[in-house]
Amino acid sequence: MGLRAYLLKRLLNTVILVLFVITLNFIIFELMPGLQGAIVNLISNPKVNQNPAQKEALLKLYGLCQSFVNGVCVPNPIQNRFATYFVNMLTFRFGDSFQTGQPVLHDMITTGKLENTMVLLGTATALSLLIGTLLGVLVASKRGSLFDSGWVTTSLVTYSLPTFYMGLIFILVFAQQLKWFPPGGVTPAEWAISLPPLPTQILVRIEHLFLPALTLTLFFYGGNLLLTRATMVEALSEDYITTARAKGVSQRSILFKHALKNASLPLVTNAALSFGGILSGAIITETVFNWDGLGLWIWQSIGWKDFPVMQAIFYIVALCVIAANFLSDILYGVLDPRIKYQ
Amino acid sequence: MLQILKNKMSLAGVITIIFFSFLALAAPVLTPYTPQGSIVSGQIDPPSWYPALAGSTTWSQNAQFSGLTVVGSGVQVTVLDQTADGVKFNIVSIPSTGGYVTVMKTLSYPYSGPPQSFSGKVEVIPSGLDGTAGAPATVYLQQGSSFDSDHVWPLWEKTFVSGDYNPPTDLTYPTNYGVQQFTPAQRIFSQKTQYTYAMRIDLPGYLSSARNVSFSVKPFSLFLWGTTWGLLGTDNNGNDIFTQFVYGTRVSLIVGLLATFIGIGVGLVVGLLAGYLGRLVDEVLMRFTDMMLVIPGLPLLIVLVAVLGPSLWNIILVLGFLGWPGFARVIRSQVLSLRERPFIEAAKASGAGTGYITMKHIFPNIVSLTYVNLALSVPAAIVSEAALSFLGLGPQTIISWGQMLELAHGAATTAGLLWWWVIPPGIGIALLSLSFILIGYALDEMFNPRLRRRQ
Repeated sequence: MGLRAYLLKRLLNTVILVLFVITLNFIIFELMPGLQGAIVNLISNPKVNQNPAQKEALLKLYGLCQSFVNGVCVPNPIQNRFATYFVNMLTFRFGDSFQTGQPVLHDMITTGKLENTMVLLGTATALSLLIGTLLGVLVASKRGSLFDSGWVTTSLVTYSLPTFYMGLIFILVFAQQLKWFPPGGVTPAEWAISLPPLPTQILVRIEHLFLPALTLTLFFYGGNLLLTRATMVEALSEDYITTARAKGVSQRSILFKHALKNASLPLVTNAALSFGGILSGAIITETVFNWDGLGLWIWQSIGWKDFPVMQAIFYIVALCVIAANFLSDILYGVLDPRIKYQ
Repeated sequence: MLQILKNKMSLAGVITIIFFSFLALAAPVLTPYTPQGSIVSGQIDPPSWYPALAGSTTWSQNAQFSGLTVVGSGVQVTVLDQTADGVKFNIVSIPSTGGYVTVMKTLSYPYSGPPQSFSGKVEVIPSGLDGTAGAPATVYLQQGSSFDSDHVWPLWEKTFVSGDYNPPTDLTYPTNYGVQQFTPAQRIFSQKTQYTYAMRIDLPGYLSSARNVSFSVKPFSLFLWGTTWGLLGTDNNGNDIFTQFVYGTRVSLIVGLLATFIGIGVGLVVGLLAGYLGRLVDEVLMRFTDMMLVIPGLPLLIVLVAVLGPSLWNIILVLGFLGWPGFARVIRSQVLSLRERPFIEAAKASGAGTGYITMKHIFPNIVSLTYVNLALSVPAAIVSEAALSFLGLGPQTIISWGQMLELAHGAATTAGLLWWWVIPPGIGIALLSLSFILIGYALDEMFNPRLRRRQ
């Protein structure tokens, strides 16, 4: 089959997935009984009504009205609405937030929500991959020992405890009792008035990032650790490892240069695939720690019934997961020689 | 099946589940309170066993005044009717020098720490005072037996003429007492001594011509709300947390089990169809399943529940219908491998129809897989329900463990997180999940010969 054919096949799959997500998103929000009401609400919002151009632009964006008869909206048939919606989604035009009246995409970027979520996700993903893999390798090399069973048990425990519970316990212990870290937020409230010098800024930001990142990392390192351990154990039992040992290759070299390389394929694909889980975990973690990111925003928008925001964030999150899956497909194709030489 | 009980781990799991089921079923018996409607004690009370553990001596529990008596001074009182909470009495005659009546209750305060707050109720219906200037009355608290301003605190003053008299709110002492760092309760109930809660009704001389002066006093009570309470303390409104925990068990069990059953049921059907009918049906169903698997679970759940509304059934259905893809895949691969087995071929050769083969041959061989997956999927449903409730997407009127955590998190802005509110629900979730996982592992060992440890 070759690498190219494989990648093309996966690309086609990805495109189908994106179309599926857009359709799903449309269906869900079509079901929304309150959506029409919400849109009417927005249209009768005095801020919007002041600006007839904006009102018309909004109505055009949502494709709700086919035309206006005496200023009253003539509803657009569903296929037209879907077509408009489809184009909007592909071009990332999510409309305006019902809450702020600002374009959703614009809000996402300028208020730093996207950046905050990326910081949290990036830190947690990197840490959980690093710690999970490293510990997995060590644990596999000491298989059967107390070190091994201890870490396996700990991983299982943190994996089965709900994320938000761990987060709350951390706030209780580390922020309230010991007062080592702040209980939430990205930056302290005082920064709205005056910013301290840059080194202090970085330090304080890390302080605020620590607990949420720890919570999210703890939730995911377990999966990495257990998978690494399993694949490493298998790899370490191969004959070439015994040969290497007989040759006198150092333990560290055996573990990392030989065994891990061969064991890494399932790890890489698993890391990409679990990205969806990390995103879900991030939504909850952001809510617990009041971390001003996309996850907190989708939660707040439920209360505000801010449907454009909900739709937009769900769409973006789904896109990220699909992208991660495609990335994992690519990596799998590149790393697994069996694909290339089929 | 009874082999589950032989394995020690799964036995522990079964016992834990039985325990929680008991809590869920016997909830109204275990606690007479409602999860969010009954104020049982002071607000933010830690559990009553905590002070002993923490070595604190300044704690208190609920107390109330009792022993209602009516005593006349300078007048003769005839009691017409008396209950624990009220009394109806008649003044026989009032001399021209006047006199007074004292209605009172006492309490020998047993705790070394003051109560968190106190609240009292009084209602008085006088009669026979029409046309007079009335009978001035004071409701007060007295510490000990001295009658000076250091030991007597007036709570309410009123002159009774005719009608129905109540203080505008529950009786308590004004907070601007002057000694800023103490609350009224701390100032008044500072000693472990005798307290009197009394209403003194003055009957001045100008009432001597009044006929048939009587008073109906009901209720006449004073509650002291303690600083500790019960097994798990109280929340920021004074509701009992143990009650919340017990009623929350119901939601976790019901949603967890029902959602899993729906998911497994749908997954079973889809997997069977895809596996057995093969080719086009398989391709279409599996494409759809794969797509459902890629979509991120929690955001989809959030969006669906936000759209459909936060009712209990919506959550169960949504969780169920999002849980089937994984199981469908598992069943499908199992059916695929079974389909090629010789005994199926033999059955087909004997002329057995698709339905018969599915029911009599395929199905019994995937039943074990179903049981195992059932047990292992329940924890995911329980945690998902808790997560949804924590995000505020659960039914707001029914308490659940996730909602307890949400309420605790929401109230944290004023009081900080209360450990007795946060820890129990999480432990409940963890224990319940762990029990199902243990049972699932035991079932897996039972049915999957490869996993059985050599005896």
